[in-house]
Amino acid sequence: MKYRIIIVILVCILLSAFHMATEQLFVAPENWPETTYDFSKNPLTLQKVELGRKLFYDPILSKNNSISCASCHSQYSAFTHVDHDLSHGIEDRIGTRNSPTLMNLAWHKSFMWDGAINHLDVQALGPISHPDEMGEKIENVVLKLQQSKKYPALFYKAFKDSLITGEHLLKSISQFMLTLVCSNTKYDSVMRKQTQFTTQERNGYMLFQKNCGSCHTEPLFTNLEFENNGLAVDPTLNDSGRMKVTGNKKDSLKFKVPTLRNIEFSYPYMHDGRFKRLSDVLKHYTSSVLQSPTLSAHLQTPVVLSSNEKVDLTAFLLTLSDKSFLFNPKYSFSK
Amino acid sequence: MKFFSLLFFIIGIQFASMAQTPESPAIVFGPVFGDSKLQELTYYKINDIDSVQFTALKFYISGVELIHQYKTVWKEANSYHLVDAFQEQSLSLPLNVPTKLKYDRIKFNIGIDSTTSVSGAMGGDLDPTKGMYWAWQSGYINFKVEGKSNLCKTRNTEFQYHLGGYRFPYNNLQSIFMDMPASQLHVVLDLKKLITEMPLTQKHHIMSPGNEAMLMMERVINCLSIKK
Repeated sequence: MKYRIIIVILVCILLSAFHMATEQLFVAPENWPETTYDFSKNPLTLQKVELGRKLFYDPILSKNNSISCASCHSQYSAFTHVDHDLSHGIEDRIGTRNSPTLMNLAWHKSFMWDGAINHLDVQALGPISHPDEMGEKIENVVLKLQQSKKYPALFYKAFKDSLITGEHLLKSISQFMLTLVCSNTKYDSVMRKQTQFTTQERNGYMLFQKNCGSCHTEPLFTNLEFENNGLAVDPTLNDSGRMKVTGNKKDSLKFKVPTLRNIEFSYPYMHDGRFKRLSDVLKHYTSSVLQSPTLSAHLQTPVVLSSNEKVDLTAFLLTLSDKSFLFNPKYSFSK
Repeated sequence: MKFFSLLFFIIGIQFASMAQTPESPAIVFGPVFGDSKLQELTYYKINDIDSVQFTALKFYISGVELIHQYKTVWKEANSYHLVDAFQEQSLSLPLNVPTKLKYDRIKFNIGIDSTTSVSGAMGGDLDPTKGMYWAWQSGYINFKVEGKSNLCKTRNTEFQYHLGGYRFPYNNLQSIFMDMPASQLHVVLDLKKLITEMPLTQKHHIMSPGNEAMLMMERVINCLSIKK
């Protein structure tokens, strides 16, 4: 009888240990929508996530071994690049768009400002091959990794195969990116009824729901769609956005709606990084939205905010910061 | 005694396999330029003045099915093949068909279907390292032909046609139906026909989905024929 109890306890401990091990890699917060990423085709394991993390921080992915993913996606800014309006790459070349933040990617159905990438697994191919970013060929990355000292062993650990393939390389980078879940903001705590907004924040939240929430939909703070938010075209870039991908005039000047999570730390804002401060963004929505045939349906009536309301709205936006994400040691450079 | 029985066994197997059709079912691609077999880095005459050479010719064959009296009787599992004109072994696609299966037609696609195109990183012939995946705008290149010709007023007289697209209205997957013999189907791809129809003097690069890629793919299809 005693033995039976011990066995039952041991089994329980073992099961909960397994449960914890799998749970820690990816946790979908309660009451969030279904994830888009099909985890059954690329089940997360600790070895694969760790391999992906190593690759994310390794400049070996670029042509001259100088630029890593983290060069334009640094953790302390929610995995974007705060010093530059446009992303920059090898040999100080400058790209044409602001590097996006990387958070909650398991819920996204397309990637890049124009949605040109259709799946998280193949997302890394974009920056790896772009001449103004990493300027490298995926075939050559695989070759360099295969010839390196550490990677064949790490791929063997992760995939039980030391022969490195493009598929395994990309899937491991996906695994790391999938673990980047941001769900511990003050806003989230309020929704979980663990804390309360201040009066100012609550007022800001109401203004947000009225004026911003239809595109920056909770809880991801993006509807994952493409919208024209009335920005004037920058004549040095002439970026038509989504239309480049679909070839459809109706998509002219539409860009993917970015999340507002960690907005405090992910400046500059917009696809071309034209606004440095949140106040510039609010000023745009209240006074400089340009009418055009593709302007978002949600911006047809002008947004009106008093200066006090702008302060309240900003106070709410600051509740979307997640320090536990920005400083999570699991996401940082691994030695 | 044991040795003899083994010997008889082996001979028996040999006879058994000989008794079957001499060639097991397969699709065999034969890229040619007019009457000559297509070879890498070889100049072919288009006319008395102009010539062309090919540096790459690759395409995907997928979704292979056998048909008997208008009904599909066999579908190849995991049916994705990268055919490279300059890799001899890739030109022949053996079909692992059950013996005694009757069929009279074959269906296959040139290119990769839209579902596979949106399903993330794949391995084998679909691995993005095969040079047949677009990095900056997701999707497979269904058909790739690259080369040089004095007709191209470009850098190094180069031309590059990367034909793909999985999204409406530029879905560039092409289904081909052909009569299928019991053994091997020899499909000829005549580049001379393609080159003569190609706008080499005006259009030297197609690198994204769209009308031009669709038109060019139609030309590719017109260059396919069954070797009699």
